[in-house]
Amino acid sequence: MRKRSPINRVVRILLKLGFETSPVGGQGDYLDFRNCEFSPYDGLITITCQSVLTIIALASVVLPAAAGPGTTMVLPKEAGNLLETYCYDCHDDTTQKGDIRLDNLSELSLTARLDLMNRMQEKVYFEEMPPKKKKTQPTDEERKRLLAWISEDLHANNASKLEDKLRYPGYGNAIDHGKLFSGAIKDAPYTPARRWLVSPQIFEQRVLDVFKLEGKDRTQPMYGVTNPFVQPDTSGVRDYDTNLLDGGSLLVMMTNAEWISTKQIRPARVKAGEIQATDFPDPKDKWSPKETPAVFESIILKKSVPTDKEMTDAIETQFDRVLRRKPTDVELKKYLDLTRSTIAIGGNTEGLQKMLEAVLLESEFLYRLEFGAGSADLSGRKMLSPREGAYSISYALGDRGPDAALINAAQSGKLVSKEDYKREVERLLQDKTYYSGQIDPSVSGMHLTSHVTSHPKIVRFFREFFGYPNATKVFKDTERGGGIYRNPDRGTLASPGFMVDEADRVVDWLLQKDQNLFENLLTTDEFFVYHDKTDEEGAKIIKEWREVYEALKNTDWRNDAQGVLDKNIDFIKARSSMRPLDATRPGELKNFMLYFQESFGQGRTPFTTVPWAHGYTFHHAPFYGLPSTPDIGRYGSWKSTQFDPKVGNGKFWDYPVKQPFKIANRKGILSHPAWLIAHSKNTQNDPVTRGRWVREKLLAGRVPDIPITVDAVIPENHEKTLRSRLEVKTQEPECMKCHQFMNPLGLPFEIFDDFGRYRIEEFLEYPEKVVGKTADQRLNVYQTLPVNAHGALDSTGDPKLDGDVTDALDMIAKLAKSVRARQSIIRYAFRFYMGRNEMLSDSKTLIDADKAYVGSGGSFKAVIVSLLTSDSFIYRK
Amino acid sequence: MQNRRDFIQNAFLAMGGLSLPGIIPNLSAAQMSVANPGNPPMRFIFMHRGNGLFPKSVVPPTLGPQEQALEDKNLPFEVDLDRHQLPDWMGPLEKHKANLTILQGLSGKMCTTGHHSWCSSLGAYMANERLSSIKWATVDFELAKLFPSPLEHIELACFPTGGGNARGSLDGIAKGFSARGPQQPNYAFGCPKIAVDEIFKSVANTKDGQIKYQLERKVLEFAAANQSGLAQHLQGIERNKVGNYANSIEDIREKNRKVDLMADVVRQYIPKLDDKYLNKDMSTFDRQIGHVEVLLASLISGLTNVAAFTVDELGHEYTGITGMEKEKVNMHDVGHGKVIAGVDALEIRHRTNTHHMTLVDRIVTRLKGVREGNGTMFDNTMIFYFPDNGETHHSHGTEYPFIVMAGSNTKLNLGRRYMRLPYWGTVGHKTLGNWYTTLLNVNGNPIKHYGALDPALKGDQTGLIKELVI
Repeated sequence: MRKRSPINRVVRILLKLGFETSPVGGQGDYLDFRNCEFSPYDGLITITCQSVLTIIALASVVLPAAAGPGTTMVLPKEAGNLLETYCYDCHDDTTQKGDIRLDNLSELSLTARLDLMNRMQEKVYFEEMPPKKKKTQPTDEERKRLLAWISEDLHANNASKLEDKLRYPGYGNAIDHGKLFSGAIKDAPYTPARRWLVSPQIFEQRVLDVFKLEGKDRTQPMYGVTNPFVQPDTSGVRDYDTNLLDGGSLLVMMTNAEWISTKQIRPARVKAGEIQATDFPDPKDKWSPKETPAVFESIILKKSVPTDKEMTDAIETQFDRVLRRKPTDVELKKYLDLTRSTIAIGGNTEGLQKMLEAVLLESEFLYRLEFGAGSADLSGRKMLSPREGAYSISYALGDRGPDAALINAAQSGKLVSKEDYKREVERLLQDKTYYSGQIDPSVSGMHLTSHVTSHPKIVRFFREFFGYPNATKVFKDTERGGGIYRNPDRGTLASPGFMVDEADRVVDWLLQKDQNLFENLLTTDEFFVYHDKTDEEGAKIIKEWREVYEALKNTDWRNDAQGVLDKNIDFIKARSSMRPLDATRPGELKNFMLYFQESFGQGRTPFTTVPWAHGYTFHHAPFYGLPSTPDIGRYGSWKSTQFDPKVGNGKFWDYPVKQPFKIANRKGILSHPAWLIAHSKNTQNDPVTRGRWVREKLLAGRVPDIPITVDAVIPENHEKTLRSRLEVKTQEPECMKCHQFMNPLGLPFEIFDDFGRYRIEEFLEYPEKVVGKTADQRLNVYQTLPVNAHGALDSTGDPKLDGDVTDALDMIAKLAKSVRARQSIIRYAFRFYMGRNEMLSDSKTLIDADKAYVGSGGSFKAVIVSLLTSDSFIYRK
Repeated sequence: MQNRRDFIQNAFLAMGGLSLPGIIPNLSAAQMSVANPGNPPMRFIFMHRGNGLFPKSVVPPTLGPQEQALEDKNLPFEVDLDRHQLPDWMGPLEKHKANLTILQGLSGKMCTTGHHSWCSSLGAYMANERLSSIKWATVDFELAKLFPSPLEHIELACFPTGGGNARGSLDGIAKGFSARGPQQPNYAFGCPKIAVDEIFKSVANTKDGQIKYQLERKVLEFAAANQSGLAQHLQGIERNKVGNYANSIEDIREKNRKVDLMADVVRQYIPKLDDKYLNKDMSTFDRQIGHVEVLLASLISGLTNVAAFTVDELGHEYTGITGMEKEKVNMHDVGHGKVIAGVDALEIRHRTNTHHMTLVDRIVTRLKGVREGNGTMFDNTMIFYFPDNGETHHSHGTEYPFIVMAGSNTKLNLGRRYMRLPYWGTVGHKTLGNWYTTLLNVNGNPIKHYGALDPALKGDQTGLIKELVI
C-alpha cells in the first residue's frame, strides 16, 4: 500500500467529499487551510473555514504540525482530480520518478513550489507529460484547464517563466505544427508593438548613414566603431526582437559615440585651425569625412556663443543623421538645455561634440521602432505607419534603410495598403544594386573574398537556418585533417572559411534559379570547389594553357627552359594567363610545363590557379572526397627549377572549370563539408547535434533541454565505433527520453567523418590501433570498423516517408519530399522576417506563405512577398 | 613595515624621476573592497610578453644531475627554490623567493600561437584579430568580477606597431589583449600619460582635464535621465529593452560617484611622472616603468584590483635596452636569433627579461610597503609573468612558463617552488585552462573548467590543478 503524506490524504478526502480548497479570501464552499489546526494527539483534524467549521475524524492518522507558507496555494478540486488521474501514479511520495513529487505541493516552500510549478507548466504545455506511452492521456480541454491553474498560481507570484521562454529562438517550435497549418485558426495575425534591436549589419549601415556616405564610400571600414551586440551563433534564426541592450553595449557605444562625433566635426576643426589636416592621433586611422555638416561647422567656426537657432539646427541635423527623424518639442528643449550647458562648460567645439555624442547614445539609434499608427481595427491592430513600413521592408530585404523610391512612397501616401507593400517589395527584389554586397564580409580575408550577390540578406537566412558558417568556429586537429586542414588564423578563416564561402555559392546559385528551392537545397549534387574565377575566365585560361602546352611539349623545356622561353617569348606573352612571364623567368616556364604535363599530359584539366602563386591556399578539396591539387612544394616558387616528385602523389584533381559540378556521395547542404564540420566536435562527429538539427529545422520538432544532471560525455572505448559508444551511453530509458528524438536522425550522417569526408569505414584513432603510415610518412593509418549509418525518420506526417533509412543520403531524399519539412522551413523564414517566434494567430500568414511557395513552383521570392505583405508583418498590437 | 605615508615618501625617493605626492590618504584600499567587506580584496596583475619565453631559461641553474635529467626529458618534478639559485636574469626576484613559484609544463595549444596571439593566452582559446574570435571574457576580467572595484580593471600596453598585430598608435588607447566578454575587446592605454589622464581624470589637475571630465559627466547625466524617463513608460520586455541600457548608464554614474567619493585618496596617488615618462620619444624601458607606476597607483588607491599589462609584443620596436639604449630593436629579428648592433639575440632577450624582472620587483617591493589589515597589500596580491604565445618565437603552445609572485593570502600552495608539471600529452598534464580554473575556483568562481579544450589531448582535461590548492 502506498504511503501518502497526511496533509495530502486530508486534501484527497476533502476533494472526494466535494470540497474545494482555497486560500483565505476564497468564496463559497471552501476550506481555508490557513487556519487548520492539526492535532497530533487524537487523530482529529480541526479545520476552520470562512464558511464552515468542520471536524473530520481521521482514525489512526498522525498529522504533522502546521506547514509553511506554501499552504496558501490554490488547489482547485478539478486540478486535484487531474493530478490524481494523470500525475500521482509516477510522482507521489512512493514513486517520485525523476525525484519529482507532486502530491505535496502545499508543503513546499514558496520558492520550491514555484520552481516545481514552472517545470510542471513547461511539461504540460509541451505535452511532454504524461509520457506519450501512457495510455491515459488528458484531453486538450483537460490539459488547458490544468495549465490555467498552474499559470494562475505562477502569475499570482509573478514567477511564470514560460511566456518569456516562448519568445526565444529555442522555443520556436513550441506551437503545434498541425494546428498552425490546419486552417482552423481564424485569428487576425499581428506582431506585438515593439522595439527590435538592430542587427550588427544594420548597425554598420546606420553608422555609414550618420556620415551620409554613398556608393563606394559605403565600403569604408569604420576603424573606431565596434559592433555593440552579440547574437547567438547556433544554427537557426538569430536576429530576434528579444535581444536586449546591456552594460557591455553601452560601454562599446560610449567609445563608438566619441569616435563618430570626433570624425563628424574633424573637417570643421581643420578649417577652424584647431587641428592640422595631417594631424591624426592614430596613424592607422586616417579616414575623415569630406566635410562637416554646415550647421555644425558654423558653430565650430563661430567665435561667440551660438544662438538658440543655430543650436536647434545642429540638434535637428544630428537627429536626422542618427535617428532619421526630427526631434519632438520636448526632446528639442532637453537637447537645447544640454547644448547650452556643454558649450558653456567646454566652448563651441567640445560643447557641440557632447550634444552629438548624446544623440548617438540614444537607445533608439540601436533599435528599430515598430509601434503602428492610426486608429485600431476591430481586432485592436494598428497598421505600421508609412515611415515604419518603409524601414521594415528595407531592413527585411537588406541592411540599409529605405531607398529614395520607398521613402517617397511612404511620404506620398503610397504605403498604406497590402498592394503598396507588394509593389515595393517586388520592386526591391528586382533591384540588383541597392542591397548588393558580399554575403558575409567577415569571411573575406587573405586570398578569399566573400561571394557578392544582389541580396546578401536572403542568403543570410539560409546561412542561419543551416548554420554552416559555424564551421569556422570548430577548431580541428590539423594532423587528423590529413595535414591539410588549416584552422582560422590571422587574416584568414582558412579551410573552413573557403568551404563556408563555397556553401554560400551553392545557396546563392539555387536562389538565383529560385525553383523548388528547398528541395534543391536539400538534394543538389552540384557544388562549387576552388571556383575562384568565372566559368568564362577559367575556360580562357585553360584554352591558353593548352595552346602553350601543345606548342612547347616537344621542345627541350626540361633542360633548356631559357632557350625555349627566348624562342617563344612573344607566343607566351600573348597569353595573359601565363602570368607576366618574361624572358627572365625560365624557372616559371618549367614549372608551367611540369604542371601541364601532369594534367593535360595525363588527360586531366589543371586547376586554374597555379600552386606556386603567391599565397596559394587551396588545400581542402579532399574534404569533398576529391583528389588534391599539387602541393606547393612540388614545383617550388616561380624562380624554382627544383621539381620534387616526392611532394604529393601525382594523382591530381581533374579540375572542372565550369561550376557547379557533380560530386559523388553528396546530397545538398546537409552533406556539404561546411555543414558537417559546423555540426561536429573538435575530434569527432556529433550525431546528437546533427540529429537535433534535423528534428528542429526540418520536422518542426522539439528536443527537451538537457537536464543539468546529465553527463553528456560519450565514453571512450577503443574497440567500438562512435555510434556504438553513443548507443551504449544513451540506451537507458532516462536518456532515451531525449535521444529518441536525435539519435535516429543524426546517426545516418556517420557516412561522413567530422571533416565532412565520405567514408564506409571508421578509423579507431588510438595509438595502439595504428597499423602504418601514409605514403608520405606524415600521418598514421588506423584500424577501422565498418560504418553503420542506419537511422529512422518519424513525424513527417507522411507514412510513406516515415520509417527506416539506410544513411543520410536516403534520409535527405525523403525529407526533401516531405510537406512537413517544407512547412518547417517556412516557419523559420517567418521568424527571420518577423524577428520573433510564430503565434497561433500567425496561422494564416504561414499557410499563405506555404501556398505561395507551392503555387510558384518553389520560389523563395514568392515566400518573401507573401510574408512581407502579411498581416503579421504589417499590423501591430 | 611602512604605513602609507612611508610608502609615498619612499616611493618618491625610490623613483628618482618619478614622484608621488606625500599626503596621508583617508581611505585604505581594503575599505574600498566591495566584494568582501571585512577582508581586503585580492589583486591580480597579469604581465605578458611576446616572442615566447624559453622554458629552459627559467630553470634554476643549480639542479642536481637527477633533477636536471628530469628537466631535460620534460618529466615532472619539483624543487625548493630556497636550495637553488635563480637564473641570472631573474636576480631581481632573489629577495622575494619566499613568494616566487616557477610553474613549468602548462600547455596552451587551444590558443592561437606563433607570432601573435591576441586574447588567446588570457582567454585560453584561439583568438585572432576578428572580434568574432573572442569567445568569452578573459581570465583577468573574470577575476575582476570576483573583486569589484570602481574601475573594474585596467589594461596597459607597450603596443605593437608592426608585425601582423599592429596597433595604430604607440601612445593612444587601442584594443588590448583582454576581453570583457564575447566579442567585446578591452581597450588598453598605450603610454603612461594617457593612462594617468584617463584613470585619474576624476581628479584632473589641469583645466582641460577638468572640463573634459565635467562634460563627460554631463552627457552621462543627460543620457541617464533621458533613457530612464523613456523606460518608465514601458512595460515588460519592452521596458527591459530600454531599462537595461538606462541602468547601465546609471551603473557607470554610480561608479563615477564612488570614484568621486575617493577623490581625496585618489588625488594623493596621481603619479606625477617625470618628463622622461611623458616624452613621446620615451624608450620602451621607460614606458614600462611608467606603466608600472600607473598600475601601482591604480591598485594602491583602490581604483582597481586587477591589471593586465602587455610588457611587450612581437611587433613592438624596443628601445632603451641596456647597453644599446638608442638602438631600435626589432623583436621579430630577435626571435629569429639575429645579431643586432653587435649584440646576440639571446643576450638581448637576457637584457629585456632582466628589465622585466626589475618591474616585477618594483611592484612586489612597493606593495610589501603598503600596510593592509594585519599585513601588507602584497599579501593579497598575485603577479603573473608569462609569454603571450608559449615557449618560443614560432611557438606551438606546448609550454607556457609562468613566473608567479604570490602573497600569503592566495589560498594556493605557492612560494619557493620550482614545479615542472607533466608534459603535454602525458598523464596528468595541465593546460592554461586548468591553471585559470584553479585561480577562479579558489577565488570564488566554481566554474568546472575555464578555457577551450585542446582537441589533440585525450581524456578529461577539465578542472583545477589540485596540487596547487591548499
